Amino acid sequence: MNTKKKGPAAVAAGNQKRPLLVSLRYYKGFYLMFLPVLIFAIVFHYLPMFGVRYAFYTYKGIKEPVFVGLQHFEKMMKMSGFWNAFGNTITLSVIKLLLNTFMAVVLSLMLNELRSATFKKVTQTIVYLPHFMSWVVTASVFTLILSPSDAGLINALMVKFGIVKEGIYFLGDKNWWRPMFYIINVWKDTGWGTIIFIATLSGINPELYEAASMDGAGRLNKLRFITMPALSNTIITVLILNLAKVMNLFESVFVMQNDAVTQKSDVLHTYIYTQTFNSGALPDYGYTTAVGLTASLVGCALVLICNKASQKVRGRGIV
Amino acid sequence: MKKKATAFDYALVVIFILISIIMIVPIYKVLIDSLDLKTAYGMKLFPERFGMAGYVSVFTNPTLYKPFLVSCLTTVVGTITGLTIATLGAYVLIQWKMPGRTLFANLMLFTMIFSGGMIPTYLVMKTLHLTNTLLVVILMPAINVYNMVLMRNFFEGIPDSLFESAEIDGCSPMGIFLKIVLPLSKAALTAIGLMYAVSYWNDYTHYKLYITNDNLYNFQMKLRSVIMGSDLPHAIGGATENTVKNAAVIVAILPFMIIYPFCQKYFIQGVNIGAVKE
Repeated sequence: MNTKKKGPAAVAAGNQKRPLLVSLRYYKGFYLMFLPVLIFAIVFHYLPMFGVRYAFYTYKGIKEPVFVGLQHFEKMMKMSGFWNAFGNTITLSVIKLLLNTFMAVVLSLMLNELRSATFKKVTQTIVYLPHFMSWVVTASVFTLILSPSDAGLINALMVKFGIVKEGIYFLGDKNWWRPMFYIINVWKDTGWGTIIFIATLSGINPELYEAASMDGAGRLNKLRFITMPALSNTIITVLILNLAKVMNLFESVFVMQNDAVTQKSDVLHTYIYTQTFNSGALPDYGYTTAVGLTASLVGCALVLICNKASQKVRGRGIV
Repeated sequence: MKKKATAFDYALVVIFILISIIMIVPIYKVLIDSLDLKTAYGMKLFPERFGMAGYVSVFTNPTLYKPFLVSCLTTVVGTITGLTIATLGAYVLIQWKMPGRTLFANLMLFTMIFSGGMIPTYLVMKTLHLTNTLLVVILMPAINVYNMVLMRNFFEGIPDSLFESAEIDGCSPMGIFLKIVLPLSKAALTAIGLMYAVSYWNDYTHYKLYITNDNLYNFQMKLRSVIMGSDLPHAIGGATENTVKNAAVIVAILPFMIIYPFCQKYFIQGVNIGAVKE
């Protein structure tokens, strides 16, 4: 493409509607630049989408796929493992989301009240830190400190102070696993979650607070009548954005679960993974594709619902 | 009009010190144990028998330092690939009058709504002979539509007049991209580049799914098997097994702990570009 020849005329022409062919030639360079992006999207997103047809086939990777219709979905509906994983996905994601958001709001309100800027900055740096640790590292750290052996910090302390006689295997006990999962999630992501709320809080006009003080409003009244109304939109936005991702839960659960707690911890994607790669027998890709397709469709519906909700609440969608 | 500090302010400081301790203790405990040649019980402020043998064990053991090198390689190459894809895509997506722009934008956005899922993706990678190559773990995370949208939001802030005058001066689209857009976007490139780097360094899922050859494992994969005890490292120089485990955890987080204090503002910027506008 050579814009030099066209000069300013071409720029001016950009404001009017051009014939398609001229336009295509004009943008030739841009199409070329988009080509790598398109190839990546096709290979890593669109080819796999066509792979969902295996949900209607039996395919074990050796013989040609055999069409079975809706058989996999019928089987899925009868599998207790599927329903367990489906319920766990919703429960774990939603409780985690509510807890993390609540804690992040509380923490940012508290940070906002800090008077010393330096102290605030140091605190922020510290609470953001765990966000950069991978789930493998996080799980490793907590496996080490929650270990039931003497080397585990928590158990060693509890035994020392006589709270328990023997160490508790927190991550391997089906009554303890979920609370631990939530606590670890709060530890890892609450700090990072405050960023968006702090940005909103710093956007509130300080004159509002001053005017409220003049009227004799105390801390609590300012919180109730100025801060919370300003934050509520951000809170709803964060909830909507994250609700759309409810079905994606995988890595955090995968690195923390073990056979002893499957019933409490298995989510759809870990169910798909173990059914395919750890089942011992020759896996039926068809069945696990069907489970995956169900998860994708529910996820898709959630995104669309959240998108609608987002348009209603803040005037623009999330996608 | 600065008021005097009240009891409330002091209480708040105390609470924040406690919160900071809770955040730090798990990491601190691992750090101390990694420097202690005696398996540690309970919480200690300092190692009982100080020694670097844990780290020496990690970096002299080929089954541990090779994965570390794999992590370094994929992080560097992956971040560059990711930034290339994100910037190219973002630049084309702000060409509002380009025929097909809406189609391209929708093709990108659709991938955020619907995905083929774990197994079909695995089967495609297998068919393309990408499994058990580092290509898959470098290329697949490079196309991240979320990062592309962040980049696009940033590019939108570049004044149109700059594009127009460059065009009048006879700059090609690629020329404008290289000479105007990229130099003006250093902050966004740093912010989004760091986001890519963190996700490449921390990647576990892609390796778990597509790599079975343990010569190609990255450090996260290796760390996982070390901690789970399925692949105990050979401890040397008086290090206990526990010392090596803890040292491996620290090595896995060290690169980001070092750069993090300097880059915090870019990380936060990354969140805020996204928050202002999706």
